[in-house]
Amino acid sequence: MIQTIRLDRVLREAVATPYRNLVTRPTGALVRRCIEATLAGTGCRTVLLDFSAVELLDLSCADEIVAKLLLAADAAPSQYVVLAGLHDHQREAIEHVLTHHGLAVLAVCPDEGISVLGRVPDDARAALGWLTDRAGDGGDADALAAALGWDAQRARWALDTLAAQRLVRHEAGAFLPLRVA
Amino acid sequence: MTRVVEVPATFDDRSFDQFAAAIGEWPPEGRLLIDARAAQWAAPYGLIGLLTAGQALAELRLERPLFTVPASDEVRSYWSRIGFFQHAAELFEIHGRVPKARAEGPSEVLVPITPIRAMDDVIEIVGGIQENAARILNKELGIEAKATMGFGMALSESCQNIVEHAGTGGWVAVQAYTYRRRLGRRVVTIAVSDAGVGFRRSLEAAQAKRYGERWRDAAALEAGLIHNVSRFRDPGRGQGLAGIKRYLARWDGKISIRSGTARLAIVPPWDDDVPLVEHLPFFPGAQVQVVIPAQDAEAR
Repeated sequence: MIQTIRLDRVLREAVATPYRNLVTRPTGALVRRCIEATLAGTGCRTVLLDFSAVELLDLSCADEIVAKLLLAADAAPSQYVVLAGLHDHQREAIEHVLTHHGLAVLAVCPDEGISVLGRVPDDARAALGWLTDRAGDGGDADALAAALGWDAQRARWALDTLAAQRLVRHEAGAFLPLRVA
Repeated sequence: MTRVVEVPATFDDRSFDQFAAAIGEWPPEGRLLIDARAAQWAAPYGLIGLLTAGQALAELRLERPLFTVPASDEVRSYWSRIGFFQHAAELFEIHGRVPKARAEGPSEVLVPITPIRAMDDVIEIVGGIQENAARILNKELGIEAKATMGFGMALSESCQNIVEHAGTGGWVAVQAYTYRRRLGRRVVTIAVSDAGVGFRRSLEAAQAKRYGERWRDAAALEAGLIHNVSRFRDPGRGQGLAGIKRYLARWDGKISIRSGTARLAIVPPWDDDVPLVEHLPFFPGAQVQVVIPAQDAEAR
């Protein structure tokens, strides 16, 4: 199950403002707490944060909302966060703060499909591409190693890294791409 | 004793030091008379610097300074339209005729002089500017429309620094004008100033030991602007100035920060400013100027 959280609506509930701008650190903290409360009350495994109706996102809010949500993700190990509807500047702001923290997140874009924002090692990025191309089938280290000509240890490390960054699910020995639709 | 402080005829980030020098020792002894009669042109940076001086004196509970308004009708009218006198009336004893401000400021003023005391002020300022900023950045400066969001981010982060670091309020103004002297092109400037503790005191607890004897205003500016250091332990902090620098690098912009007795700038090729100046006359708080120039038609 996937739950979509519209950030513009959360903003309106959290802050009395006529604008659709996610700016200032306190605003970001309020919005994040609302999202965390929603996450705590949902049984959905994947949560889609929809930025499409948000106009401006500054770095402080990107840090408070996205980075801190990912940093706190250990509290809900079975939930995965995916971003959607990002404008270019929002994508840049999130990329900036996630790289700073060494974090990463998946983003869904209608034109470009799924991309990853933040800091992901090259091998893990390649493994994610391979896994995404396999659609829902998933795969394991042996299959990845065979497909990319890597040794098993390298393939295992790349997949473990993706799982640790919560960019893929690791279930019953298989690594699965996140379902976003 | 009253000390006369002349406002430079052209009052911008460069002549600001002349103004600070005229104030002399800080806090000044005796009452100040800020004499703006000869003022011909003032950048937002200069005007909010004047208000910062008045604010700092008020916060020290010193005698309210006198202020003589510019002799030129045109200059007075502009200062009124950008909102200077509205705020100056609370900080100075004003002498001279002040024209009434029109309900609407001039179109080149994106943000009239506005006090920043809390984060809600930042939300209002950034929210109110979007449409005008898009028009000026895109039509006048040739910056692609989608980049106006980056401008809003730069404005937001600049203003937030006051609330988070100054320990007191400050001022912001945003204006487009033709920068004849150094560039000969249209620019948009964001000017932000506060009368707070300044970079050195703000970062002292976290950084002074590391710098040892080198710890002074210039080192604090270097830590904040170049190394993105914040006084907060939160590892997510310090990214605001980094984001502003990245935006400016893309659009060939300039940022300069003056705090205490030093000024540090990231200087683009079109400007001949020196990156670091030390041993300036002291001025309280921090003064930030961001300049984004019109893009070369060739570069577009």
